[in-house]
Amino acid sequence: MTRIKTTIQSDRKKQRYLELAIPIFSFGVTLIGVLVWMMGFEINFQFFAFGCVISSCILAYLAWIRPKKDIVALSTPIYAFIFFVVPTDYVSGLTLQILYAVSITLLLLRLKYRFGSAHTEVSLRKELASPLKIYIEKASGSFAGISPDTAHDAAVVFVQFAHGEYREAARRAVAAVIGQVDDVGEVATLVRAFSIVKEHSLLIDKSLPRPLTYEVFRPEEYGLLAKPQLLALDDDHEFFIALDNALLLLFSVAWTNSEADRPHLLACQAFVLKLLNA
Amino acid sequence: MKIGNVEVKVSILSIGVFVFFTFFLIVASVYSPDVRSNLIWMIPVLFMLLVIPVALNYMSRSQYAELEPEYERQAKTVRIKLINENMIGKIVRIEGVVERVHFQFLNRPQYSVADRSGAISVKMFTSPDENIKVNDLVVVLGQVIRRYIATGDPVVNCVSIRKKSADSTTDE
Repeated sequence: MTRIKTTIQSDRKKQRYLELAIPIFSFGVTLIGVLVWMMGFEINFQFFAFGCVISSCILAYLAWIRPKKDIVALSTPIYAFIFFVVPTDYVSGLTLQILYAVSITLLLLRLKYRFGSAHTEVSLRKELASPLKIYIEKASGSFAGISPDTAHDAAVVFVQFAHGEYREAARRAVAAVIGQVDDVGEVATLVRAFSIVKEHSLLIDKSLPRPLTYEVFRPEEYGLLAKPQLLALDDDHEFFIALDNALLLLFSVAWTNSEADRPHLLACQAFVLKLLNA
Repeated sequence: MKIGNVEVKVSILSIGVFVFFTFFLIVASVYSPDVRSNLIWMIPVLFMLLVIPVALNYMSRSQYAELEPEYERQAKTVRIKLINENMIGKIVRIEGVVERVHFQFLNRPQYSVADRSGAISVKMFTSPDENIKVNDLVVVLGQVIRRYIATGDPVVNCVSIRKKSADSTTDE
């Protein structure tokens, strides 16, 4: 947990410096240009536009690392090139650079307040996000005894489901259930999770609606689930919460007991977070 | 306007451009003899401003019409929440309520469609068969793509968007 916090804090610090660099470079280099001219060195004022160009590249980078992309911020380096590639005299160059610096500072504010935080995207591929880690830590004690082969099956079923390979996910879930001889306690819960995912996968694969009777977790298993099954508003809701819980359970078992599959699981983390938070 | 079996729709923007340049040409030809002498090629060019969008719309709509049966065959009906970045390229069918409609005037409508599990952007690169409005219950058929081709959140590249009739809703 401390490692995640450190990574996120260091990412945030780096981004704060980059955000500060945008107005500093864009206004600062132009200001240096003005001072140089006031001292009598009449260097081509176009060269002092490089602060604006660098700031545009930083802004585009900050837009790139966000999960929600801002196409306007992403394209600012192209505009910087178009605006500053043509030689200009002192007054028009200064005006253009100041207007450009103001514009990209406003775009930075727009990016910050309308396109959210970037640290989730940076850390999603490296570490588990906090809410997911909390659930996995809660469930890991109960599923610590699951064999690596079963955990690998859980990983494969989860990843295939996330990729929309529903028929393959169902097939693998069936194979995983057949392999389980012990049908008591946590193993029974895991078997039920496989069965729920299998049932949903087959229904989605054939584009069928919810059946009248369907598999759900038992009340004694609710303690192992990520989302409270009791909050289900109606049959549809209960049916879909069971799937969310089954997928989250498979993810948790796979993460705890099959370290080799973690890179594949991390690649699906955005999907798991969606299941957990919805 | 119907060409063959394809209902062709011209965007308001194309009509606006045509009207603007027609007006511009009339005014210019009244005041300038040079313009009048060139009307023989200016008028056909003016009509091209309408003909080209019509032709493009016909081509895209006929292509989408050809794709629809294949998409219909391959599509899996999923809840919106299940659509994620790992499903890029998958063909899906979603059912939901239209929450927002943008860019209809460009014949490139973009919808925000929501079901009980979440909401997703649905982009269409041609005009739809039906006039889709906010609060319509629709069935969308399309492919999961990224918003900006190589990056961005998953959205649905729509091949068909149709209103779900009240009969089919009650049937279920």
